[in-house]
Amino acid sequence: MSDAAPAGTDDGSTPADPADPLGPGSMLYQLAHQTRWGLVATRAIVLEAAHPQIGAALITNSTFVAHPWRRLRNTVFSTQRMVDPDERVRQREAARLNRLHTRITGTDAEGRPFNAADPEARAWVVATMFESTVVMCRLSGESLDGPALDRLYSEFRALLAMMDPDGGQLPPTLREFWRYYEFMIEERLENTEAVHIILDRLFAQVPAPPLLRDRPAVWAAGRALAGPVATAITVASLPEPLRARLGLPELPGTRTLIHTAYLSTRLATQLLPEAWTRLDTVMTMLDPTYAPPSGGDALAGLRRGAAKAGALLRLLTPVPRTAATDDSTLRSASRFFSEVLDQTGNGYLDWPDLAAMAREIATRLDLDTQDEDRLFTAFADWWRELQTELDTDGDGRITGHEYAAATAAMTSSALIRVAEVLFDVTDTDGNEIIDAREYRVLFRTAFDHDPGDSGDADDGDEQLTRAEFVRRFLTFMAGRRHSDAYDRLFAQS
Amino acid sequence: MDGNGRWAAQRSLPRTAGHQAAEAAVIDVIEAAHTAGVQWLSLYAFSTENWRRPAAEVDVLLRLVRRAIRKHALTLHTRGIRCRFLGVTDPRIPLPLARDIADLMALTRDNRRMTLTVAFDHGGRRDIVEAARSLIRDGVPPEQVTEESFARYLPHPDMPEVDLVIRTSGEQRISNFMLWQVAYAEWIFPRVLWPDFRAEHFWECLDDYRRRDRRFGGVQVPTATGKGLC
Repeated sequence: MSDAAPAGTDDGSTPADPADPLGPGSMLYQLAHQTRWGLVATRAIVLEAAHPQIGAALITNSTFVAHPWRRLRNTVFSTQRMVDPDERVRQREAARLNRLHTRITGTDAEGRPFNAADPEARAWVVATMFESTVVMCRLSGESLDGPALDRLYSEFRALLAMMDPDGGQLPPTLREFWRYYEFMIEERLENTEAVHIILDRLFAQVPAPPLLRDRPAVWAAGRALAGPVATAITVASLPEPLRARLGLPELPGTRTLIHTAYLSTRLATQLLPEAWTRLDTVMTMLDPTYAPPSGGDALAGLRRGAAKAGALLRLLTPVPRTAATDDSTLRSASRFFSEVLDQTGNGYLDWPDLAAMAREIATRLDLDTQDEDRLFTAFADWWRELQTELDTDGDGRITGHEYAAATAAMTSSALIRVAEVLFDVTDTDGNEIIDAREYRVLFRTAFDHDPGDSGDADDGDEQLTRAEFVRRFLTFMAGRRHSDAYDRLFAQS
Repeated sequence: MDGNGRWAAQRSLPRTAGHQAAEAAVIDVIEAAHTAGVQWLSLYAFSTENWRRPAAEVDVLLRLVRRAIRKHALTLHTRGIRCRFLGVTDPRIPLPLARDIADLMALTRDNRRMTLTVAFDHGGRRDIVEAARSLIRDGVPPEQVTEESFARYLPHPDMPEVDLVIRTSGEQRISNFMLWQVAYAEWIFPRVLWPDFRAEHFWECLDDYRRRDRRFGGVQVPTATGKGLC
């Protein structure tokens, strides 16, 4: 049995520290480790996407449509770091998020500038998370009394203050917050493209999680049922004025559905063993390679069980006809373009795609400012080279056709530079060798047989020299060969 | 597992038909060994030298192996058989097959009733060279290199010494098979071709082995363990 109530209860293992609003004793800490937090996050992202600045940033820069599971994993990691018991971990993560958001700027379809680090937009992100948490409690029949609500709000304010110490703030009192929230719903939110992409495309077309990656038919069958339900629940939980503005009617029966869904998650959280309903548990089930930032040992047995279940499922599921003939490690330029290069899934290769690659690497390696800058600079140089050589119609982006037509003739000196910088930032001990530990941090997998690599004397040595590392990276980026390691890093959803 | 090609030739069939027929023998022998209480069984499915065969034959072999893995994975698991592979490093091994091999190993890793080791893309010399390289990389001083310490660097170091090697079809060569582990193994060379090899042949080999006087270079007669068969 577990204590699911977020209303100021501790997890039994760590005493609450009244002076620490984000540590293990906080309500936020408990919520961030519960699977039902997914309901909050799903609803909150729709409210965020309706904000014009955030919606534009999501549409142009985010990989959440093409790589939703990777994005989810990174979000879970980040959230849990933000409530880590160690204050230094929180500060480091806040600084990383700030750097990440500072790099996301541009103009939306109407020419309005957007900036992911905009204080007002960031305040709205935290506001949606707070309000969605309150909604979750209300819809699941969980009462938050006045003091608990005040405490929860103060924790969210502390979260924003840590992320943006010099920027925007949420109103000081709860009463003022609700006025602010209503104003935002009534006056600021718009019927953005991002909202409809989330509701229409993300839920309906979300690719299979890593566990079922090789069994798209199984996933598609489950998604056909769960997708519309998830959409209906999310839509029904939105504020009525916003729903009307978005042109989203409330379907008959959705009130019952939404209460059932929220109540079920609450009961599951309360009645099932705590380990079953932890967010880490579910993430491990969906992605056997998932390694939570903390508590990894406790989940080792579970991860092993999930890996076995996944292996059995894959072995028992009939091989799709296409996969049966796909015994080659080779792939076409167009598939490489869509699976690897087009990170945002908009059909084009442009800077946000390469920035997303750099962001994924920087996130995995938890780079400091200097290394992160080096990496982004290398990727930016590569983008300039690609643009110069491949963007034949000069529209600032590269189509799959432009890429396929010219990539074979490219010199790619900038890509070699990317490989070298990637080696430098991965080789944390600076011994000019990528050892098993460094390899695992980057690729989240052990050194393994990789039929996608051409193989040579170094195979199986459990270390990579600079030359071999660069060669493997370039072989993969030439777009002709699969590589388990790099596919995990860049291509998988 | 010798004699697939000859079995097919005797019936005027393509060599690949011999490989197809071999699957029944594999399952029969695994079942027989399991029933007889053998704890370690190894099958030599594909050597590093077998890549020199015609590409079409290799391609069929790889497909057959994949099909067999998928077909029998659940049965092997429910029998409590731990499946491991020895070799499997060549980049020519198709990705789907490599994934199925990894899945089979992951699925059965906690089973302990019997360990089935499939030598696939295996070469005994390569294993020894790899072990030597690992020793050197670890900076082990020469005076500390013993037979026991060296063996710990071989793949699957928990595997016991091989007691008995059965090589079908009458061929009498080692063919680069687990060179280190077969040092004191007994050898039996039944003339039957592998696709015709069945449980009764296996039991005959076991009876033959049990009657043998194993001296390990000495004069005393130790008790035969009957644990490691190939």
